[in-house]
Parts: sequence; structure tokens; C-alpha cells
Amino acid sequence: MSDHHHHDHPHLPSQSEATAGAPETQDAGSQALAEALRSSFVIVKIAMAALVIIIFAAGFFTVNSGEKAVILRFGKPLGDGPKMLLSAGKLYWSFPYPIDEVVRIPISEIQKVTSSVGWYLTTPEMELAGTEPPAGASLNPLIDGYVLTADRNIIHTRATVSYHIDDPRTAIFNFAAGTNHQFNLGGISNAVQNAANNALVATAARFNVDDILTRDQTGFRTAVRSHIEEMAFREKLGVVIDQCDVQSVAPRQLKDVFAQVTTARQNHDKLIQDALGKENQILSEAGATASSITNAAESARTRFVTSVESDAEAFKALLPKYEGNPQLYAQLELTKVMAEVLTNVQDKIFLPQRADGKPRELRLQLNREPPQEKSKVNP
Amino acid sequence: MKKNAITLIIAALLLVIFALLLFTFQVRQSEVVVVSTFLKPTATETNAGLYTKWPWPIQSINRFDSRVQTFADIPSETLTADSTMLLVNVFVGWKISDAKEFFPKFPGGSTLAAQRQLENMLRSAKAAVVGKHNLSDFVNSDPAQLKFTDIEKEIQTSVEAELAKNNYGISLEFLGIKKLGLPENVTQSVFDRMKAERTKFITAAQFDGEKRASMIKSAAERQAADVIYNAQADATRIEGAGVAEAAKTLGVFQENPTLAVFQLQLEALRNSLGQKSTLIFDERTPPFDLFKNLPAVNPGK
Repeated sequence: MSDHHHHDHPHLPSQSEATAGAPETQDAGSQALAEALRSSFVIVKIAMAALVIIIFAAGFFTVNSGEKAVILRFGKPLGDGPKMLLSAGKLYWSFPYPIDEVVRIPISEIQKVTSSVGWYLTTPEMELAGTEPPAGASLNPLIDGYVLTADRNIIHTRATVSYHIDDPRTAIFNFAAGTNHQFNLGGISNAVQNAANNALVATAARFNVDDILTRDQTGFRTAVRSHIEEMAFREKLGVVIDQCDVQSVAPRQLKDVFAQVTTARQNHDKLIQDALGKENQILSEAGATASSITNAAESARTRFVTSVESDAEAFKALLPKYEGNPQLYAQLELTKVMAEVLTNVQDKIFLPQRADGKPRELRLQLNREPPQEKSKVNP
Repeated sequence: MKKNAITLIIAALLLVIFALLLFTFQVRQSEVVVVSTFLKPTATETNAGLYTKWPWPIQSINRFDSRVQTFADIPSETLTADSTMLLVNVFVGWKISDAKEFFPKFPGGSTLAAQRQLENMLRSAKAAVVGKHNLSDFVNSDPAQLKFTDIEKEIQTSVEAELAKNNYGISLEFLGIKKLGLPENVTQSVFDRMKAERTKFITAAQFDGEKRASMIKSAAERQAADVIYNAQADATRIEGAGVAEAAKTLGVFQENPTLAVFQLQLEALRNSLGQKSTLIFDERTPPFDLFKNLPAVNPGK
């Protein structure tokens, strides 16, 4: 049977040959599939390698200027103190989320807040132009800010506080601005501003209006700054106050009268300064007069003593002559002096004795001043 | 074998990631997490880090911001003990101190709802505390009488007591007065008073200036008079000293007082009859006494 079959169809492929050819076809398919799988697997491996590379490369990051970054590893910040903050200018690497999370915080070296709780309503345009809104008769406390002073007056005051972050962990992770879990310095900024608001109100409450506006501006500014620093310490804000500028003005409604007070105060000071100048002048003149008097006295003393001494010497010289013939000496000396005197005397009137020997009556008209000679100009 | 190993590693990795997502959660530095088991709060995680949990629906987590939140309340007018209407505005810093208590008390753990609750408490506390104090306790130049800080503490203590009583899971970190004001119509009265005070000050400054200037000048004149008087006294002493000094020499004149007096008389005569003087004399005055003793002239001889 089998031979017959074999002999009847000698050129046809045998059954065994046909069955032997099927595995070959199957092997080719498997091989193709295996080849395809192998190729795919290579692609997957490459893709995975690429993915690993991408994941690794994605871990590199930089920090922009004007911001700092913190790496949170499983939620905890890496590093502590200033080292915790990553700055611009370097390339950093972190694990991908959820292992690491890079938190970027807009932060400059110096932060600044302005407390306008005690200032009237104004706009930046008005500030730039140096103008102020018109003053009404009163102040609406919900619109216009002001503070009450210790002597129950109203003034406007505002503070600009510059500070820097001393403890970044506190500033970033202890204070929030809003409820969206974002990291920024809004919370710490609000806290510093509240401290400044409170400092202005609390400090004004213990200073009188004139101290704040004129007499003790420095004291007020120092007290405001101290109050802010004390609050920052008490509330553990982790900031250091670098500068605190305080500006205080009288209400616009009383601008004129406050200007008049300034003028009155200046006039008051001028009066006193003038008086002090006059005091110096009077005392200087008195000193000069006193010196003159004592100098004159010294001079008179010297003259007198010298005169007496010279008289004494002259006396000693004349004494022998006098004692020789006192009468003659007296007559001679008297005659000499009379001659001298008569030479100097302006008017000499000789009244001879009356013949009868009786005293002559003489009437004189005495003037206080000698009569002036009449001139042509003044007849 | 190698292929299987890689496949297994990848599968294991995926499984680990999936398990991590299902069984772990992170707590960030600024957060507090409440873990609820079958929706009932059972644990609170406050420290940052990685924690494990059963997957939903067994356990679920709720996150809260544990940082200090600040806000200022709405200004409200309150009467002081001395019947002054005062407008007080405060700010507070608060935070969630016990999230497990906080979470169920406010819808969805809403911080805004918590702030509204705090505002209500603040309003009551402010009214109660301000009503116990006079205006002079708020503003005063005498530190002993100023109770500004005490008032802030009293308001804070009052709110803290209310928070503790209701166990809200909230703590007040700080409280301060943001603004002290007066009703609008009162500000005008204050301005009128300030104006009157300023005007009074202007007048007082003028009078005071004149008064002090006058005092300074009169004091200077008195001092100057003293200086001159002292100088005159000194001059008298100097002249006296001169006389005393000269007196030592006067002994010389004792040798012949007649001559001494005669010499002085001559000097006096010389000094008194100077220019612009008039001398009336007769023949008894030397040297005109010569006329008296002239021999009579006899024209007849």
C-alpha cells in the first residue's frame, strides 16, 4: 500500500516531506516574532535607559536671581539656617518627586514693608507728584488712617521698615499668607507689617503731639523701631530690622495753624537769641567800662604817688632856700605864680581902692557859659 | 533568564511605586496631616517626613497648613469705661494647634471658617475689655498709667479662654492693636480743640519769648551794673592804696608844714586861675600892691 502509493506518485512530494516542511514555516514565524520581541525589548530597554537618563537629567535645576530654593526630601527641608537656601549661580540636582521637591521662594536680600495704618488715603501718583488729597472737615476712620497721641490729638504717621531674613526656616515654614500651602514670604511680610502698625499706634499713644512732630522726632522713631524689634523677637519672626524710617505730619485740616505754631516757635527762639545777643553786648560793654574804671584808678594812683614823691623831692630841695629867708622866698614865689596866673587869665579887672578908703561895691552878672561871640552866620 | 530578571525588576519597581503610592504619604514641613480611619480622625502627623497608611477606603488623609496665619478683624466701635466711643481694630496670628480637633469643627477644615469664628470671638472680647478701661488707659504720656499692652493681653487671654473652652484646636500666637480711632464726627471736635490749643500756644510762645527776652536783658543789665559797681569799688581801693602808698612820703612835709602848705596854695592858685577865668583885684594883690606904695607925684616939682 505504501509502496503503491509511493510508486503511483513518484514526482509529488511525499506526506512525510509535507509534514517535515510545516515546522520549518513555524520556526520562521517564531523567529520573526522572537526577532520582533527582541527588537521591541531593545527599544524598551533604550526607552527605559532614556527614561532613566531623562529622570536623572530632570533632577538638575538652577535658581533664578531674585529667588531662593529649598529642597524638601520627603517633606523635610535639606540643610539648616542659611545653608538651607539655594542661591542663583550654581547648578543643583535633586531626586524626582515624590522623593524630593524643589520649593522656589521669591526673596531678595532686603525686604521692605510700609505701614500706612496712620496715614491718610493717597495714591502712588499723588505720592510721586508730592500732592495730597483735599482735606475734609473730619476723618473717616475706615478710609483715612491716623493715630491718637498721648495728649489725645490726631496726627498722621507712617513707617517704612527694611529688614532681612535671619532665620529662613521660620520665615518660610512658620508663617503663611493664605491657605493654598504655597511657600513665599507673604506671611512674614504680613507679620512685620502688623508689627509696624502696632508699633506706630502703641508708640504714638505714649508720645505727645509736639514730641512726635517737632521736639523728639528721633525719640519717637527710635521707640517705633524698638517696638517693632521687640515684637519680631516676641513673635519669633526670624527677621532683623535694618532700617525704620518714620514720617509724621499734622492733619491736613490743621496745616495752617501748625505752620503758625512753627513760625511762633521760631519767633520765640529769635526773641531769646536776640536777648542773648543783647546780654553779651551789655556784659561786654560793662566789662570794658569796668576795665576802664580800674585802669583809670591805677593810672590815677600811679600819678598821685609819683606826684607826691616828686612834690616831696621838690620840697626837700626848696626847704633850705625857704629856711634861709622865709618871707623873701614866699614873696618871690607868690609873685612868680601871680605873674604866671595873670598871663593865663582871660579877663583881668583892676579895682583901685576908693580914695575915702571905704569898700567898693561891685556888682557882677555871672553867666553859666561865657557869652559866645556873634558871628555873621549866626547873628 | 536575563530577560526574565529585567522584567521582574521592572515589575517589582512598578509594584513598589504603586505600593508606595497606596501605603505611604508625605507630611511637608509646613503641614499637619490628619489620618482618618473609615472617615474618623484617628491620628495626627505634625512632623515632616514619610509615613505609612492603609489604602483608601480604609484610611484617608487631610492636609492642613500648620503655619501661623495673620489677619486683622473688622474695626468696631466700642464704649470705654468713661463713655468714649473708641474704634478698635486688632490683628492676630493664629495657627492650627490640634488638627484632629480643628478638622471636624469647621466645614472641610476651612481656615476661612475658623477666621470668621475668631472674628466673632474678637468682637466680644474687645467689647468686654475696652468697656473696662478709660481712654487714658489707651493713650497716656505717663508710662505708669498707660495700659496699652495690658489691654492687648487681656483681649488675647479672653479669646484664648474661649478657644480652650470650645476646644477648637486653634492657638493664638500673638495679638495686637492695629488701629485706634474715634468716630468721624468726633474727629472734627478734636480738630477744633487742637486748633484752639495751637492758637493758645502761639500766644503763649509770643508772650513767653518776650518775657524771657526781657528777663535775660534785665539780668544782663543788673550784672553789668554789678560789674561797674565792683570796678568802681576796685578803683576806690586802688586809689586808697595809692594814698596809703603816698602817705609814706608825706613825712617829708612834716619838716616844714608852713612851706608845704604854701607850696600847695601856690599850686592851687596856679590850677584854679587858668584860661577863661576872670580875676578882679585891687592894689592889695601882689604884684599890684606896687601901685599902692607908689610915691606921690607932685606935678608942681
